[in-house]
Amino acid sequence: MLELQNLTKRYGDVVAVDDLTFDVRPGVVTGFLGPNGAGKSTTMRMILGLDRPTSGSVTVNGRDYRTSTAPLHEIGALLDGKAVDKGRSARNHLLALGATVGVGARRVDELLDAVGLAEVARKPAGSFSLGMGQRLGIASALLADPSIVMLDEPVNGLDPDGILWVRSFLRSLAEEGRTVFLSSHLMSEMELTADHLIVVGRGRLIRDVSMTEFIASAWSDKVRVVSPDATALAGLLAAPGVTVTSSSPTELEIEGVPASEIGDLAARHGLPLHELVPLHPSLEEAFMELTKESVQYHGRTDGALLTTAAAAR
Amino acid sequence: MTATLPDDTPPTTTREKADPTMTTSTSPDTTTAHTASSAHRHRATTAPAYRITLARVIRAEWIKLRTLRSTWAMLTAVLLTIVGIGAIAAASATGAVEGPRDGGGPGGGDPLSTVLSGSMLAVVLVGVLGVLFGAREYSSGLIRSYLAAVPARLPVLWAKVVAFLLAVVPVVLAGVFVAYVVGMAVLDAGGVPTVSWSDPGTARVVLGTAGYVVGMGLIGLALGVLLRSTAGAISALLAGVLVLPTLAGALLPEAWDGLLKYLPSNAASAFTSTVPTESLLGAGTGVLVFAGWIVVAVAGAAVALSRRDA
Repeated sequence: MLELQNLTKRYGDVVAVDDLTFDVRPGVVTGFLGPNGAGKSTTMRMILGLDRPTSGSVTVNGRDYRTSTAPLHEIGALLDGKAVDKGRSARNHLLALGATVGVGARRVDELLDAVGLAEVARKPAGSFSLGMGQRLGIASALLADPSIVMLDEPVNGLDPDGILWVRSFLRSLAEEGRTVFLSSHLMSEMELTADHLIVVGRGRLIRDVSMTEFIASAWSDKVRVVSPDATALAGLLAAPGVTVTSSSPTELEIEGVPASEIGDLAARHGLPLHELVPLHPSLEEAFMELTKESVQYHGRTDGALLTTAAAAR
Repeated sequence: MTATLPDDTPPTTTREKADPTMTTSTSPDTTTAHTASSAHRHRATTAPAYRITLARVIRAEWIKLRTLRSTWAMLTAVLLTIVGIGAIAAASATGAVEGPRDGGGPGGGDPLSTVLSGSMLAVVLVGVLGVLFGAREYSSGLIRSYLAAVPARLPVLWAKVVAFLLAVVPVVLAGVFVAYVVGMAVLDAGGVPTVSWSDPGTARVVLGTAGYVVGMGLIGLALGVLLRSTAGAISALLAGVLVLPTLAGALLPEAWDGLLKYLPSNAASAFTSTVPTESLLGAGTGVLVFAGWIVVAVAGAAVALSRRDA
């Protein structure tokens, strides 16, 4: 259980985390979602006592984490998979970390096996790929059988197989009653893993909702129709509460009528349909809509970079 | 400082006994099986098996220190430096090998200074080893993982100091003793006057030299933690602690000497040389002043470590 109360972190004039209040509960996977620079990592560092809050407080299992008597058993965290000593082997890395709470070689070997690093356990961690580093980081988070597992961008760099493994793994951790808290800037990662969502932007809380609620709020009943007789169909559909928009003479976007009724109507009037597609916005789109005001680093998509590069050449 | 952590549980782990055996496959299914079987245990947050103790944190730092190749390379170099340079200096003093033209050689004719002259280089090596041990986790970002594992923070510093001493003290002590025995044998064989262990000051100088080398290592370690940068801390150690006193002594008017003798390396000279000089402190005061510098450096590192964001 993590409890954040008006948590705030300022670096000079920059407010990295702005008055965050939320709980992360045991038994569910909680996704911590926000664009780059939204303050997710800073928040996680404050939870671990690495950064001191400017104001507000955070407790881990009801207490200040700095006073914990069994730290790695309370929170297992992955902050940065690349944070390893390049010359030290994966196994020795875990042995050193685990030694702080008496975790021994046997447990370390079991974990290396479980995350799929048994064969490279004695290789220098500096030679690891990003994905292997993430696996090592996940192993380090699980060293002391923690009640809270907190992972910053865990699937970053993993192959599809690894992503699937992490997902099912996190699910099983939550099913055992553990608190699972993971951050991401991609909705698609959360969609299949998280039960609950904390959405942040520019350090502020935007949403604290269950996944089910978020999906429901993102729902729309738009339908796209392609038909050579689009104009005729638009005439038939006109009714109160129905919006029809058209981007080309043969294409309609209809809101307020289910796809099935549109199809039936067209059939009754003998109008040919080439396409009849319900348009559910992806959760990714819903998320981007939610956070578009707070995206800190906008990339340009006008091709200016390419033009400049060409000109420079 | 040992009171920072509860230290009542033995450092040996009882963890393995309680741990269900995981299967050896890496598929998601078997991992699930493992975690499900451990479900009943994770609520007991203060289970003794996972208690953090200072002894365990020391063990962690010891593992970190011994699992880096650079540690062993440095320690070997320290041993070879102290013994090798001492033997060469002794041979040079006997005229067995050709020495510097003026015949002075390192140590200026004092047999103890001659056989221990390798410590001048060893002190740099041990200082750098201390810096590396203190600062290298900051450059990799690994320090966050360790401080998240030891959120009380200060035990990490105490444990680093203990682990460092465990590794360095035996090597440096062995170095100065072998250098003393070998060096004196070389001098004796060459017909040059030697000193014996029972002569006044001999034991103090040999042990004092070891203490100086180890102490500079601790100052290096503290500077590493304080500055969080390997390059910065090495520069500070070499410039501020080793070079500046010599330079200041040469450049500043004599009136400053009263102050300069309190600088770390000058304070150490008070107990690492047999010849008493007006410009140095007494041996006993020198030890206290040098120890004071170590305490100040470590205390500075402790304050920085506990106050700063990691």
